[in-house]
Amino acid sequence: MGVPTVSMVTMAFNELATSTAFKKGMPGLRVTLTPHPITGRTTEESNVYLKSNDPVSGKPMLEQIVAGLRDKLAEQDKHAGIIERGERPRLLPPDTADNLQQMFQDKLWTDGLPVILPTEEKVQAMLKGTSHKPDEIVGEMRPSGPHEAWKFTVEMVATNAVMAGAKPEYLPVLLAIAATGQTSLFSSTSSFARMAVVNGPIRDEIQMNSSIGALGPFNQANAAIGRAWTLISKNLGGSGMPGSTYLGSTGNPLNYGNMTFPEAEESLPEGWEPLHVQKGFKKDESVVSIFSGWSFNTIAWFSPLPLQDVIKNWLTHFFSFGTGSATIILDPIVAVELKHNGFASKQQFADYLIEKSANPGWLYWSTHEEDYKKAKEGVEPFASYLKLGETAEIPVSRYVRMPPRGAPAGTPPRNPVEVLAVGGGTNLYWSGGDFSHVVSASIDKWR
Amino acid sequence: MKNGKLWLLNTVLFISALLTGTVTAAPDEKITVMNPRGIMPAIKQIPMADRPGSLDGKTIYIVDTKFANTKPFVIAVRDNLAAAYPKTTWISIDKVGGYMQDDPNLWAEIKAKGHGAIVLLGH
Repeated sequence: MGVPTVSMVTMAFNELATSTAFKKGMPGLRVTLTPHPITGRTTEESNVYLKSNDPVSGKPMLEQIVAGLRDKLAEQDKHAGIIERGERPRLLPPDTADNLQQMFQDKLWTDGLPVILPTEEKVQAMLKGTSHKPDEIVGEMRPSGPHEAWKFTVEMVATNAVMAGAKPEYLPVLLAIAATGQTSLFSSTSSFARMAVVNGPIRDEIQMNSSIGALGPFNQANAAIGRAWTLISKNLGGSGMPGSTYLGSTGNPLNYGNMTFPEAEESLPEGWEPLHVQKGFKKDESVVSIFSGWSFNTIAWFSPLPLQDVIKNWLTHFFSFGTGSATIILDPIVAVELKHNGFASKQQFADYLIEKSANPGWLYWSTHEEDYKKAKEGVEPFASYLKLGETAEIPVSRYVRMPPRGAPAGTPPRNPVEVLAVGGGTNLYWSGGDFSHVVSASIDKWR
Repeated sequence: MKNGKLWLLNTVLFISALLTGTVTAAPDEKITVMNPRGIMPAIKQIPMADRPGSLDGKTIYIVDTKFANTKPFVIAVRDNLAAAYPKTTWISIDKVGGYMQDDPNLWAEIKAKGHGAIVLLGH
């Protein structure tokens, strides 16, 4: 900005503010901390806070702000130039296996569980899973938009693949995931989860499980690929340091395996395209698709209503952090029943859900403040909606086709409801959650 | 002869262990592993703006990044500073968009018309 600046941040983000200032090139940035949280505090409470001390420095808050804007700088704050990060050694210093395991844990290079130690021999064997050179740059990844991006090579991805217990034949899937630049540990206070869906011939080649228990701990490829994505995110994407590059307040158990599974393409009813074909790839291409969200419910609800309406009504009343998008995962026998009920394609069923899902009143008004003001002023149709009451359904879908948030102008609208199929057909189960499609990427280019 | 048989037995056991993959490093044996970490970017240090030594007669912008439900605190920051430092002009202003969105027009305005900024807040 070019003028004296002070940042005010709540004390929960002290480490984040300090580390971000350093990484952005201003390690001396003046920061004043407030008690946490500030959201929801009244004017009276705010006045009490502001007349007290910065809870970390112990100095009077207002005086510290003014001093940060006014007082002459230290010499090191005026420096320009490059701050060295230290040499990155390819090999770590020799140690015993037990000590190395402990060091990996202590440095938060794992998911909290023991890893396969990545000896050079094991990494060399892993590299046989791709034709790409070990020193080729695969891409870059960051914990979220404001954070710095780290770069990484094929060999570095292979190293993390070994740690996760992957086989060499899984490596192209992991390289494709890594090349998307999508971390599985997106840094937000809201504890994001991610999902990876694999389509195409590679599902069978590496023996992934799309049948009974596909989302559970029953298959090496599903499990190891999902786990490796977390290790890649931590070690190659700079993610996952609680307090600085991970702020999820409660954390999310889905981050362990990242809901990694292959779509049950062969069990889809005729006319229902696999996900990668929906996204513009050929059926015989191998593709991984990344989804982002927070939570999932698993449901089998038997009702005299048609299945599509049970799902639609559930979607109307489903509430989670990300209420503007949804992904429905159907057991293939549910998909067959929906086809029987008249839905000739996945997209036709998705469109039905997008158009017919309504909003419970309490949710509609909490997400449409302007409409609420109009309703209070008697403006129609909002006034009539308000008369329906808080629990009634407002006939406006909350699943709206719009470009992804922050996308450049001209970006086509995303599909707010996605439909996938996986499972062993043991019952008419389906799952629903607030996940949205982020990107689909070729696996074949990394073979 | 007895020693010869023992040697032969040990050799057979060792080879079979090798073949079945049951040979592991001794607990105190040191091994070398690959570094799992990626490549951090270089950091280009930005010199901080010179401070004036006094804020008397100066204009300071208080930039609200508009995190939900924090407006009373932002206004209180402005009012408390104005009461404690009346010789300085304190202007509170909203940044455009959400808290993640850049606002180059506002930064240009502050540089042209102001002498400093307080950027806040969140959560």
